[in-house]
Amino acid sequence: MNALRTLVALTAALAFPSWSQAQDVNDASEKAMKAAMLRVAPFVAKIETAGGQEVVGGGGAPGPGGPQAGVRKGVGPTTGLVVAADGYVISSSFNFANKPTDIFVSVPGKPRLVAKVIATDQTRMLTLLKVDLKGLAVPVAVPKAEIRVGPWSLALGRALDTDLKDVPALSVSVGIVSATGRIYGKAIQSDAKVSPVNYGGPLAAIDGRVYGVLVPASPRGETETAGVEWYDSGIGFAVPLEDVYAVLPKLMAGQNLKRGLMGITAKVQEDTYNLPALIGAVSRASAAEKAGILAGDTVTMIDGKPVANFSQVQHALGPKYSGDVLTVQVLRAGKEVEFKGVTLTEAVTSFAAPFLGILPMRDDPDPGVEVRYVYPKSPADAAGLKPGDRLMKLTPEGVPAEQAAPIAGREALIGMMNLLAAGTEVKFAVKRKDGGKPETVTLKLGTPTDDLAAKLPLPSSAGRALEAPRAEKPKGKAVGPLKPADEEKPAAKDDKKKDEPETGLLQRSNPTLGREYWVYVPANYSKDVAHGVIVWLHRARPIAKEGDDLAKIFGQFCADHHFILVGPKSRNAEGWVPSETEEVVGDLRAVMAEYTVDKRRVVAHGMGVGGQMAFYLGFNARDLIRGVAVTGSVLGTQPKEPVPGQPLAFFIVGGEQDPLVKEIAEAKPRLTEKKYPVVYRQLKEFGKEYLLDTTLEELKAWLDSLDKI
Amino acid sequence: MNRLLLTAFGLALAALQVEASDPFSKTADEVNTRTVKLFGSGGFRGVANYGTGVLVSPDGHILTLASQMLDTSELIVHLYDGRRMKAVVVATEPELDVALLKIKVEGKKPDEPTGLDLPFFDIAAVAKRPVSTPGDWVLAHANEFEIAMRDEPVSVQRGVIASYSKLSGRKGIFDFGFTGNVYVVDAITNNPGAGGGALTDRQGRLLGLVGRELRNSLTETWINYAVPIGATVEVRDGDKVTSVSIPEFVASATAGKYKSRPRTVATAGPGGYHGIVFVPNVLERTPPYVEECEPNSPAAKAGLKPNDLVSFVDGEPVGSIKAFTDALRKTRPGATIRLEVRRGDSLQTVEVKLEDAPKPAAVPPKK
Repeated sequence: MNALRTLVALTAALAFPSWSQAQDVNDASEKAMKAAMLRVAPFVAKIETAGGQEVVGGGGAPGPGGPQAGVRKGVGPTTGLVVAADGYVISSSFNFANKPTDIFVSVPGKPRLVAKVIATDQTRMLTLLKVDLKGLAVPVAVPKAEIRVGPWSLALGRALDTDLKDVPALSVSVGIVSATGRIYGKAIQSDAKVSPVNYGGPLAAIDGRVYGVLVPASPRGETETAGVEWYDSGIGFAVPLEDVYAVLPKLMAGQNLKRGLMGITAKVQEDTYNLPALIGAVSRASAAEKAGILAGDTVTMIDGKPVANFSQVQHALGPKYSGDVLTVQVLRAGKEVEFKGVTLTEAVTSFAAPFLGILPMRDDPDPGVEVRYVYPKSPADAAGLKPGDRLMKLTPEGVPAEQAAPIAGREALIGMMNLLAAGTEVKFAVKRKDGGKPETVTLKLGTPTDDLAAKLPLPSSAGRALEAPRAEKPKGKAVGPLKPADEEKPAAKDDKKKDEPETGLLQRSNPTLGREYWVYVPANYSKDVAHGVIVWLHRARPIAKEGDDLAKIFGQFCADHHFILVGPKSRNAEGWVPSETEEVVGDLRAVMAEYTVDKRRVVAHGMGVGGQMAFYLGFNARDLIRGVAVTGSVLGTQPKEPVPGQPLAFFIVGGEQDPLVKEIAEAKPRLTEKKYPVVYRQLKEFGKEYLLDTTLEELKAWLDSLDKI
Repeated sequence: MNRLLLTAFGLALAALQVEASDPFSKTADEVNTRTVKLFGSGGFRGVANYGTGVLVSPDGHILTLASQMLDTSELIVHLYDGRRMKAVVVATEPELDVALLKIKVEGKKPDEPTGLDLPFFDIAAVAKRPVSTPGDWVLAHANEFEIAMRDEPVSVQRGVIASYSKLSGRKGIFDFGFTGNVYVVDAITNNPGAGGGALTDRQGRLLGLVGRELRNSLTETWINYAVPIGATVEVRDGDKVTSVSIPEFVASATAGKYKSRPRTVATAGPGGYHGIVFVPNVLERTPPYVEECEPNSPAAKAGLKPNDLVSFVDGEPVGSIKAFTDALRKTRPGATIRLEVRRGDSLQTVEVKLEDAPKPAAVPPKK
């Protein structure tokens, strides 16, 4: 009986509070949120602008990797966050992407004032404004170390604020902190609705502190509009306020902040997760080169934190600014080597490969490089080099003649040239075609032009692709600064037991990966001749029999100039998505394993959306793709920095009847700025069809000259 | 004893879990009985032929959005208990963007009591409640995407009031007549068929009607909003401008006295004369920089100067010459407008008394 009474009492005591508690949880949450809004409201400024464009960002048609069509910029106000007492307000660069002529800022309780742009953080897409105010209160940042997934987070904005009395002039969206360390460690994520309604405003914690500044962001783009397409989706980003405060003095001093680059590229680019961070290339004059880091080193630690693969390297470097100083540890020849004071640079200075002005004879294992063609008006032409001449030795400026480096072959010569800058004077020991004594030819290296030879001489191959190049033995030990480069043997099955592989138009599939693609191999294929590869990326949807059409267009060219065509198919009918890069590369590798392939002439080619995928493939499979040829395609992605030893050339065609022609043409300056060789042709009376005969001939000449030196 | 205590504790915990989810379910049930599913015309080109409404009288009066779905003689209503009935439109008010329907009962004339005795929202009482403010937790109850049929309950979404704000009035909205404040909702509520649904607080008290699917050009985003029950708008009846609120509309229409009018198209003229000559309007959004002021014009008298940037008209931003012209269309000669003008690095407030446009100078007749 006693027990029963206790039970009843207990149940009552526990059950009743639970009912009211349930009510209270919601009530308390609601009250706490409103209290947080009240505490943060004084820091949230309203921004109004005049002038500017209607549509910002983008670049026309949808495509992989880039922002989709341009984003319409609303006409209403936007949001900013007070970050310093004397009138400094930070906001999302998105709010100024339309380049307004005038900006006005209203800090709560103060009159509306004319604002000036002080500086921009181009890595986090933040803009610092200043108005003439003093003594403002600033928000307290939640330390990053404290930020966890789960707690309430409030996205506050002024675009649609409230003018009720006694209520903070804010709009609010409620969510939780849903991830940390996003966008290469630059942002935290919330499932609150983040959009132009609150970009630039605070993501506030329930205690009235601020997690960060709301921004559109995307791991696949770096423009001010990247990520806008995810507005209100439950995927929202904020740059931690702690990080903003850390760089505020620099921004206040008017310094625009840029990404810090180290200048290293992975050896194997398709798999940055499972393999150690082995460096494939070090950019010239980059932070890494200045510190003494070499290709072949494996990065093991950055600033005392171990990195197991290249993806972790990217995450360690992602939040860094130019000028930041790192300590990098690498594994070199089995030993850990530490580099202190690695100072990141703003941009890896882009170098154009120097230009000699010749096409080399291919598949020639004999010592030296035979000249197949001399470009008119090139340094080679000026110095009197002729087709059939053989370049035997190279001596750059300032190197004694006895240290002349013997040239083992085409790859060796290209490797040597990569170490030289345009404008360098070099001496070649030349064996003339008509015999006689070796002569010395002196010339000054130039820069490549976009001239395409009208007709390239044949043959282009010596037909001995499977023989290893033989260098003349150097006399003495030292070979000056030009050590022979790594020999890149053509990828081929070198067992002679196997018969010649199939030729013609072949349908291939890989049932395990669910891949289907076609391959066209010219009938005169021989494994003793290294073939270039043209990866044709179809338009929006795969077209049946497209292989036949391309084989018709390129068949004779493939036979004469030794090319193989590969036509991968997109996973879904709507077209390509960036994540398919790996699979396309898989198809390409399968072809490269089966046939003798000239790695200097592997090209991604497409029109329209296919061309956009070609751009993407070019920038993301740098170890494989040497050229990107597109027609009617917009460069949707931010061009990546050039990588020494992994050249990338572009051939772009736009039609004047194509409404996107302005955006297409924009690719040329953007790529040229990065010192990529670009051929751009704009055709009158031409819309979105495939190439006309004249440009097709130019494309063929371009394809056959990708190994020009 | 110990074991008993443990059991008791366990029971109490179980109770806690059940109770914690209970308040919303009670609210959802109560609101659902006052909500109806509507089916009308449409069903092509992305125009939904279904929608939602709320009962506002025991007699079967339904308040919903004034959508094109109502343009049919065969309006069908599904009640919460599964009953399928016909309904007619009693009145619409385009400026409020609402319509009042009444359920038809076989054998009864439209103006006779139906005798249905349905649960309903008392609109007059609802309108007296204070406005909900940003951060208030709310529930939206609507038959979005036509998920519920007959006696299936409408869908419930939880969110907060994001804002109480004007969507238009800054010329921000396409094809949106409603010019008052709306509840902006922090949940993706404005889906096909949701229009006319109930936005309530956690206790199930009606706050507003879920609005249309609308893109807000202030922010260039799709917006989720509800028309507040207390909404009042100005309507033009001939030359007379009067105001009407949702409770007034409901009361008058229920009594069969509301005179429905077609949507008045804003027929504003060029507005009052100011005399500002702007720089050539050559860009998409040419900022309204003053090139010069016509001599003796209101602008000249107010002291506007070349290179001034007209930035705000009566507090509303005018980011382009077009926005300025649009803002001025709403004015009349004789009215005074307050301009905020950027001059150098400061904003100056200038009042301009608009006048009648000057008559064009007489051209001497040709001989």
